Amino acid sequence: MSRVQSVMRGLIQVWSDFSAEIDKTPLIDKLLRGKFRLDDYRRLLVNHRQQVIEGSRWIARAGSSICGDYAEQRSLFLQHAVAEHRDYRMLEANFVSVGGELDAIAKAEKNIGTEALHAFMYQRASEPNPFDLLGAMFIIEGLGQKKAGEWGVMIKEQLSLRDEQVSFLLYHSANDEHHMREFETILGSSVLNIPGMERAIVKTARIVARLYRLQLEELESYG
Amino acid sequence: MTDVYLNGLGAFLPGPPVSNAEMEDYIGRVFGKTSRYRAASLRQNKIRTRHYALDPDGRALFTGAEMAAAAIKMAADQSETSLESITFLAASATLGDGLVPGLASSVHAGLGLKEIEIANFQSVCASALMAFKSAFLQLKAGEHQCAAVSGSEFSSRYFRPGNYECVEAYRIEQAIPFQADFLRFTLSDGAGAALLETRPNSRQLSLKIKWIDIRSFAHLFDLCMVGGATKEDEGWRFWSSFGDPVAAAQAGALHLFQDFDLMKRMLPIWVSHYLDLIDKERIVIARIDHVCSHYSSHGLREEIIVLLKRAGAMIDESKWFSNLYTKGNTGAASIFIMLEELYRAGGLKPGETILCHVPESGRCMNGFMLLEVV
Repeated sequence: MSRVQSVMRGLIQVWSDFSAEIDKTPLIDKLLRGKFRLDDYRRLLVNHRQQVIEGSRWIARAGSSICGDYAEQRSLFLQHAVAEHRDYRMLEANFVSVGGELDAIAKAEKNIGTEALHAFMYQRASEPNPFDLLGAMFIIEGLGQKKAGEWGVMIKEQLSLRDEQVSFLLYHSANDEHHMREFETILGSSVLNIPGMERAIVKTARIVARLYRLQLEELESYG
Repeated sequence: MTDVYLNGLGAFLPGPPVSNAEMEDYIGRVFGKTSRYRAASLRQNKIRTRHYALDPDGRALFTGAEMAAAAIKMAADQSETSLESITFLAASATLGDGLVPGLASSVHAGLGLKEIEIANFQSVCASALMAFKSAFLQLKAGEHQCAAVSGSEFSSRYFRPGNYECVEAYRIEQAIPFQADFLRFTLSDGAGAALLETRPNSRQLSLKIKWIDIRSFAHLFDLCMVGGATKEDEGWRFWSSFGDPVAAAQAGALHLFQDFDLMKRMLPIWVSHYLDLIDKERIVIARIDHVCSHYSSHGLREEIIVLLKRAGAMIDESKWFSNLYTKGNTGAASIFIMLEELYRAGGLKPGETILCHVPESGRCMNGFMLLEVV
């Protein structure tokens, strides 16, 4: 079995636990029970927005921490940051389209779960060659590609919304195969030659999965 | 501790093979109409023939206990020992013949044996592995030298029109939902059994049980495959809380159904259990020669394969054995019926290994058993 497959095996296990556990958080459980309200959708967006806007920033920070030996991989990190750094606008537009105030979402505070998640991300992104963050990307991308689409469809049906009102959730679920192959390419490059990196990637994935769940559990919890 | 060997296998499939076209002659037509989900269900599970313990008029030809006893007798006949050597019986089923007492008592009585120890396991498909594990450990611990394990199902009786036509909501619609109807075209009847001893056969191959690993994930999932309850706004309401069984039946709390969306969310968890066993080196992919996986329908198999390939954990498809397509999905009996056919086909060689896999959607469970041909 290749080292890439060994890391993928660890990541799929972390993802599997995470995908079941996140369904048990109160807000998602409500969605799965078919009891979602428009308020709940607005809460999901508000509590999600800070993480989305920070996402491309920590990826850019991580890119700047990658040394010249890994120039190829650095390009991929930076491209990824560019591709996503305006996604939050679509999310804000969705919020406004369901009766939210732009100002309210733009100025919303991070909940304590989001604070913990980002403190961790920035700390890691500031370390030299932080390729363990590939584990973080696997979880967050997986969420976008696998869960967001499902949630988007359910929210649209339960609240009788139009596609463009749930576009942020729906659009992330496209391109699953393409992203996954790109991810395997990075793993297959020389990054796994860094001592301890295989284990670090899976461990970081587990930390991020736990903190992400915390963010969904601590809605509107500001301390 | 002593080693435990599977020394005989039996399979009892009642009546003739029933083709897709003939199914409704046995399980009937709800509200007198051909099912609208029949074709979609069969496309999904790809089952071509199955058996029913009913005659075409819906009369029972056997009980579940009689089928289990017949399978155990066949397993004993096929082994080098005799039925009378059995001192422990572990019986499994999704549903026995009655509510009380347990099925194992009736199976024991059907075997005509003197007093023995028995254990009864009721869940869904994975109850088969619970029964296996119980017998395996009893023998390993030296409590018994010879045990019988059975799995039996008589689902078709619960699929007859009367089970649905009493439900008020369905009566208004004159139709039943997919989540109930799919099971009518997926599950069928039969029994299987294994005879376990603390010594291997001397003149024919035995299957040595290496380990059995069963895990429940009920802490992560709601009820998924359900019989005897219905979902109300405040949560599950069990048939026993309706005041009388007629009211429970009218409310739809007495028939089987399965939440497919929920089951799909269980797939990664089942895969994760498998990957964990690889990490712990209980499963070494290069050393697996045969796989008997009780996936409940063909559609699930395809999805699992995608995940396994990605993790480098795929066992080559040429090693997979299944008779789902010809013997049907017989729930707790399936793994026995699969092993019986694999053994009887004669292709097993000493030193080879067989990985058995039984997932259960009931409230999310998963089990593996590793056998070595000796």
